[in-house]
Amino acid sequence: MVKWSLLGAAALVLAAPGARAADGKPIVIGVPVGLSGANSVVAPSVVQSAELAVEEINAKGGVLGCKLALEVADDASGAAGAQKAFDGLIYQKKVDVLISMETSAARNAGLPAVTKGKVPFLYTSFYEGHSCNRNLFVDAWVPEQQVPPVVDAFKAKGAKTYFLIGSDYAFGRGMLGFTRSYVEKTGGKVLGEEYLPMDGSDWTAIVSKLKEAKPDALITSTAGGAPNVTLTKQLRGAGVALPFANLALDEGTAKSMGADAEGVYLSASYVTGIDSLENKAFLAAMKKKFGAELRTPNDLSVPEYEAIYLYKAAVEKAGGTETAKVLEALPTVSFTGPRGTITMSKQHHAPLTMYLGQIQADGTVKVAGTFKDVDPGAQCPKLP
Amino acid sequence: MLESVPVARRDAAAPRRRLSRAAPFVAAILAALALWIAPRVLDTFAVNVLTRSMIYAVLAVTVDLLWGFAGILTFGQAAFFGVGAYATAMILAAYGATPLGIAAALAAALAAPALLGLAVGWLSFYHRSTPLYASVISLVVPIVVTQLIYSGGEWTGSSSGLVGFDVLPLEIEGYFRLAALVLIAVTLAAWILVRADAGRALVALRDNEARCAYLGLNPRRLQIRLTAALAAVAGLAGFLFANASGVVAPENAGFLFGTELVIWVALGGRGTLLGPVLGTIAIDYLAANLSGDLPFLWQLLLGTAFVVIIILLPGGLADLVGRLWRALPLGRQEPVPPRLVARAAETGAAAAGPPILKVAGLAKAYGSLTVLEAIDLEIRAGELVSLVGPNGAGKTTLMRCLSDGTEPFTGAIAIGGIPTTGLTPNRIVGLGVGRKFQVASVFESLSVAECLRLARAPHDGLSPVGQAETLGLPQPALDVLRMTGLDRLLTRPTRLLSHGQKQALELAMVVALEPRLILLDEPTAGLTKAERTTIGTVLKALTAGGRIAAVLVEHDLDFVREISSRIVVLHQGRLVLDGTVEDVVGSELVRTIYAGGAHG
Amino acid sequence: MLLLLDILTTAAILFIVAIGLLAIFGVLKIINFAHGAWLTVGAYCAVVTARLGLNPWLALPLAFVVGAVLGGFAEQVIIRPLYRRPLDAILATWGLGIVVGQLITLGFGRDVQLTPNLLAGTVTILGVDYSAYRLVALGIALAIGLLFALTIERTRLGLSARAVIMNETLARSLGIDTGRVRLVVFMIGAGFAALAGVLLTPLTSVDPNMGVSWLIGAFMLVMVADASYLALAAACLVFGAAQVLISTFVSPILGSIAVAVLAALVLRISPKGFSRA
Repeated sequence: MVKWSLLGAAALVLAAPGARAADGKPIVIGVPVGLSGANSVVAPSVVQSAELAVEEINAKGGVLGCKLALEVADDASGAAGAQKAFDGLIYQKKVDVLISMETSAARNAGLPAVTKGKVPFLYTSFYEGHSCNRNLFVDAWVPEQQVPPVVDAFKAKGAKTYFLIGSDYAFGRGMLGFTRSYVEKTGGKVLGEEYLPMDGSDWTAIVSKLKEAKPDALITSTAGGAPNVTLTKQLRGAGVALPFANLALDEGTAKSMGADAEGVYLSASYVTGIDSLENKAFLAAMKKKFGAELRTPNDLSVPEYEAIYLYKAAVEKAGGTETAKVLEALPTVSFTGPRGTITMSKQHHAPLTMYLGQIQADGTVKVAGTFKDVDPGAQCPKLP
Repeated sequence: MLESVPVARRDAAAPRRRLSRAAPFVAAILAALALWIAPRVLDTFAVNVLTRSMIYAVLAVTVDLLWGFAGILTFGQAAFFGVGAYATAMILAAYGATPLGIAAALAAALAAPALLGLAVGWLSFYHRSTPLYASVISLVVPIVVTQLIYSGGEWTGSSSGLVGFDVLPLEIEGYFRLAALVLIAVTLAAWILVRADAGRALVALRDNEARCAYLGLNPRRLQIRLTAALAAVAGLAGFLFANASGVVAPENAGFLFGTELVIWVALGGRGTLLGPVLGTIAIDYLAANLSGDLPFLWQLLLGTAFVVIIILLPGGLADLVGRLWRALPLGRQEPVPPRLVARAAETGAAAAGPPILKVAGLAKAYGSLTVLEAIDLEIRAGELVSLVGPNGAGKTTLMRCLSDGTEPFTGAIAIGGIPTTGLTPNRIVGLGVGRKFQVASVFESLSVAECLRLARAPHDGLSPVGQAETLGLPQPALDVLRMTGLDRLLTRPTRLLSHGQKQALELAMVVALEPRLILLDEPTAGLTKAERTTIGTVLKALTAGGRIAAVLVEHDLDFVREISSRIVVLHQGRLVLDGTVEDVVGSELVRTIYAGGAHG
Repeated sequence: MLLLLDILTTAAILFIVAIGLLAIFGVLKIINFAHGAWLTVGAYCAVVTARLGLNPWLALPLAFVVGAVLGGFAEQVIIRPLYRRPLDAILATWGLGIVVGQLITLGFGRDVQLTPNLLAGTVTILGVDYSAYRLVALGIALAIGLLFALTIERTRLGLSARAVIMNETLARSLGIDTGRVRLVVFMIGAGFAALAGVLLTPLTSVDPNMGVSWLIGAFMLVMVADASYLALAAACLVFGAAQVLISTFVSPILGSIAVAVLAALVLRISPKGFSRA
């Protein structure tokens, strides 16, 4: 049995002489992620889904005969931490690819290292859009895909005036900037747009401003994790009961927030309730692997799972891990996973099916609307 | 007019002095060569991390100069670093890495932190400010800078920081070498500074700020200049960092980074320069290697080590190494004393013009307690006036008012016709006043010669690059040294001197200022008979020339009778008697006061 | 109206957070940079209480006891050798804060923890809906202030503490066991800090570094207040008001540094801060 697999590997090597496939060492996937800091609420779920993907792929013989290995590094959810994490993964651990969900601050800070180190980077977090780099591919949503369902739904309920609150960084400002222009384009009015730094925790003044402005609806876009929690706690503490959509809320975080999150709208490319064979199989496998330790799979962790499969497909198509060839193959491959069939074919971004959901008392998401294959729009016109 | 005073071992010292002066340069060149070759041997990760570590080490040098040498515990260097880095990033983003853009970025990275440093220095250091207050400000600065970065929106990238700006056209190895050269240059410059006479002024500031002021040095100006200059150096490190990493983030300017710098310096060994440099490089490099695999444990170890070092080994690891080194025969090196030479006394017109000291209607109260009231006093050159009176009569308070114009008092004091109200002690020293304190006030960490050299600083300046081989002192100061045997102890650290020797040293320092008016607060307290006689002789000789006046507070009436030309009696804050020795000694009043006041 | 309530409750929260630090600074003349760590320890007591399924309010006594015990240990081992080196004490307590933070991380992980609300909902007061919990926090601040005042003015410990504040040498020569006073005060200070940590949980999320962001504000308030709890209350009101007003009318970011900057300026102008009045 051992002999056979060695032979098999040798045969594959002969068939596909790639950069890495030749030496039989594992293909190393770097996962820089915010284990501490703002993203620490969701990071464990991301790591879990990456572990599942790697385990599944390795159980079926790996990629081109090579096993996959994970290297997880904490980027502290910020720019300075990301710089260290990326340097360590690229130069010290010599990873073949980076596949991860990160804050926009961390992603931006990591990109120079990615360019210098010449590794592919699959970014699996929804974000504010328009981040363009030859080495960067994204399989999660951008505002063009996510915001319209929310605003349209509020408009249908009769909302005319909006209040926007966010974390002061690329994601917060990018999302709310797009939201403002979309609201105004569709005839609504923005009464206020307020930001607090990513590490800010005192929303008192902003909450009071919101209450004085008396809008019809509230849309927030904080950094995932801690700011999301503090803002929601303080909003609820102040008795804010408006129609409230949270652009940065994933199902996992919603569940851990408990009663505070009830009634909040979210718009996502993944909810656990998706009724497909792939999703059911995925959820069952997660439950089996992690049992009681399982963190609720969500819109930030599922793209991580799928991105590892997308990378696998690209390496197989390219015949090795050589960066140039993998980058060439990435936009052409697709994978059918829990969210359906994903292809990063639109200027390094992917068309996605979006769901409008509302958090229920038990923390689950009730789907209120489905929008098929929403196009990400022109994200990076200069990239093929 | 220079008369040289022979000192033992003078001739043997010259070649060794030359050798020890060349040593740091040789070491720097060797280090530069080694680091130039290093990137060929090290892997990319090590080169990358060490580049950053060396940039941080530049910051550690600045923290060490401020904290280890000048005694200013600062968390603020991170802010200056961040300002330099952001200035660089913003300019390079706007103008690109053209020669002009790079020059502008470098200039801004130096100038912006320096200006901020001036402002911070002005805020931190003022007459009567405390070291704790300076530390508090240094905590606030990085917080403010970070929040300003956050509120900068698109301009500073807020929480995301700036990325994607043009940088110097260098490869990873190039940055490594550039950082190495800058680190070596900064360390060498700092090394030369702290070994030089001017560097001793930093230590003097840490030891005894009041004494510095009473030597006519302006402690505030020194501290503010030091803060601004080292802010510029931190800005230079920021310039390098922005270029080498291609990313600047708010964390780079943050208070947490500021505390990290202090931790590195403390572990390496404050006040040793090399300790902090090596400590920073080692800790940051280890952190990069270990923190990925055992992040919590690493931080835990570092935190624990920090606490232990602060409590048990305040000098850090370098102190430990230094002690071992000095235990070896090779490490034991006798410092070379400077050659004493006599400086010609200024010859000016004697005793003409306004009186040296004129006090009119002086009064001072602490709340409802009146300490001094209606004091009128005039002292002319050549007088040696003793101020006597029982404890609590206000003698020391009067001395304090005479030497510090910022003391809240009413009435007028004029030195040589110039009113002193509102003048800080160092400016009053500039008017020609020298003050000797009751408890000898010298610089405990410095040697006898270094203390004396600082006393001459207002006249002769201090070399920022070297140690002068001669120490020029006015003849009366030399006399004090010779009579007390201090001239043979020039290299001895002051803290090892006896009580009497310290008193004599302080007197020599005050005399070395060449004051017109010398204020002495109980110069003979606790001295032997021989030492008293010496001091008496010196004072008499000083005032005999007719150019200098002296005021001394004394309890020893025999001593007073022997040397004074005039005696002033204070009682309960009032000047009750002012006359010749005979007048006062024979006075009934004085006898009553002393009989009731009880001071044996 | 809303603004007034915001100001009062913000001042109350600042007061709750700073009072433990003030007690320690007043008597020991030491700035306890581990204060942030004690806050965090308190907040994790709330996490533990929640995990055990106990009533969330039980976290308050638990935190006080845990904080006091840990504080007593820290005083003996770390603070005691450094009484004569106050600047080094800042550093050592900061190091202690790092150690505590890492130990919490080892025990609970570095991610954000969620705790149940102590009190949910709003109350209509003076015509506006206002967070019930913030109003309760205001009451708690007043209660703590009163308790503190009674301890200082009416108990033997308070008398000894005041003596040590005024003149330690004299206090010792009068037979007061100053070492004991220091120990007890440090324990009480750490206990109050941990208590404050629990009281913060309804407003923020809990993570191993949560204390640091509160530390500087508290530190600056204490510097301004010197050793007087009345001055601290005044400082909290004035700077809390400044923070809320600047956040509301200028920018929340500038509001967040209002306390630190204003306190630094006040100290520059009047080194004794608010305690002079």
